[in-house]
Amino acid sequence: MPFDPSDPLDRYSRQIRFPFFGETGQRKLLNSRVTICGCGALGTVLANHLARAGVGFLRIVDRDFIETHNLQRQILFDENDVAENLPKAEAAARKLRQINSTITIEPVVTDIDHTNILDLVADADLILDGTDNFETRYLINDAAVKLNKPWIFGGVIGSEGQTMTIRPGSTPCLRCLIEDSPPPGMTPTCETAGVLGPAVAIIASFEAVEAIKLLSGAFDALNKELIMVDIWDWTFRRLKVAGLLGKVDCPCCKHHKFEWLDGALGSHTTALCGRNAVQVATRRTEPLNFPEMAARLASLSDVRHNAYMLRFATEGHEFTVFPDGRAIIKGTNDIAKARTLYAQFVGN
Amino acid sequence: MTVRVFIPGVLRDCCAGASELTLSAVTVRAALEQLERSHAPLYRSICDETGAVRRHVNLFVNLDNIRDGAGVDTALATGDTITIMPAVSGG
Repeated sequence: MPFDPSDPLDRYSRQIRFPFFGETGQRKLLNSRVTICGCGALGTVLANHLARAGVGFLRIVDRDFIETHNLQRQILFDENDVAENLPKAEAAARKLRQINSTITIEPVVTDIDHTNILDLVADADLILDGTDNFETRYLINDAAVKLNKPWIFGGVIGSEGQTMTIRPGSTPCLRCLIEDSPPPGMTPTCETAGVLGPAVAIIASFEAVEAIKLLSGAFDALNKELIMVDIWDWTFRRLKVAGLLGKVDCPCCKHHKFEWLDGALGSHTTALCGRNAVQVATRRTEPLNFPEMAARLASLSDVRHNAYMLRFATEGHEFTVFPDGRAIIKGTNDIAKARTLYAQFVGN
Repeated sequence: MTVRVFIPGVLRDCCAGASELTLSAVTVRAALEQLERSHAPLYRSICDETGAVRRHVNLFVNLDNIRDGAGVDTALATGDTITIMPAVSGG
């Protein structure tokens, strides 16, 4: 039977019947705008839930391309997407438009940093955490507090995850709870500890239901605590965090010092969690000319490019270069080495 | 005061895979001092070189964040559970 769009609310009828949501909640959702930062394991689950639920505008921001080892947990992607070398944001948008053609989906292939985050979230009613690093999370936190927008934090590793709903002024912010990111080498990464798809899906689903509550106005039903789950040993904890608001000397939400947003904190070259890879972010005003670059690099092995990326390998490292000059260098976690390799093979 | 310490999955390598430790202490500080002697790698994951709780780690006694109360001087009672919460970054 072909899809019948004559009753635009019919597709949402089962959640409209949920008494705490109803048609009023649905209409609010349809009029809502959400920015999902990161479209990996968390982000694909978030985008899937919210597109199906009928959030009217979804902006999906991600800097990365799909690789085979993503398919274990990044639910919107398939083998064809890997073969096509598609950016995650673009592949997600294509899939989501097939799921729900009645909403607006805006894929943005970029690295979120202090220069662009305000533009990416300024028109959103809610920001969702689909990232895999604290640098971006602190940027989101600064932007959310500065613009007085809610956001939902989620983090996962192995079989465990954490999530917290942040409403500036009403709840503690991320820096109230987690004052600084884990130092390199201090805690296991996705690479050393691995990650289970269901663990990510559960945390993202918690984020998604909080998003539905927030956007539909069900503020009393929101999670006011820190949720900590481990699906391997079946522990579920709801830990109190509300008392931190105003009590801790938070530079962000108490003193309105936005150190990440101002660029005072955070680097532009980042080791990527669990990937034995480093991202070097060098912004250019003009996009790179991939055919020229490919010709220049022709002596290296397996130089390939499409409209979105150029990839080549050398000295045991695989480079993926993007039109804006950003590169992901695989085969090292050493930021300085990555910068050197970038200078050697991509140039400054 | 006999208390339980919940070890999250990411820190279990520090204590031979144990998900929970039992110890006797009257404050969180005393509990940490015991861990320093009995499980040094776990202690170093929780506290820095100066003995302060690391900035990406939160400690809860039962459901309450110790930073919401008396910090490491938070008193413990028999049956209490200390939960260690290091921030996890993946996703």
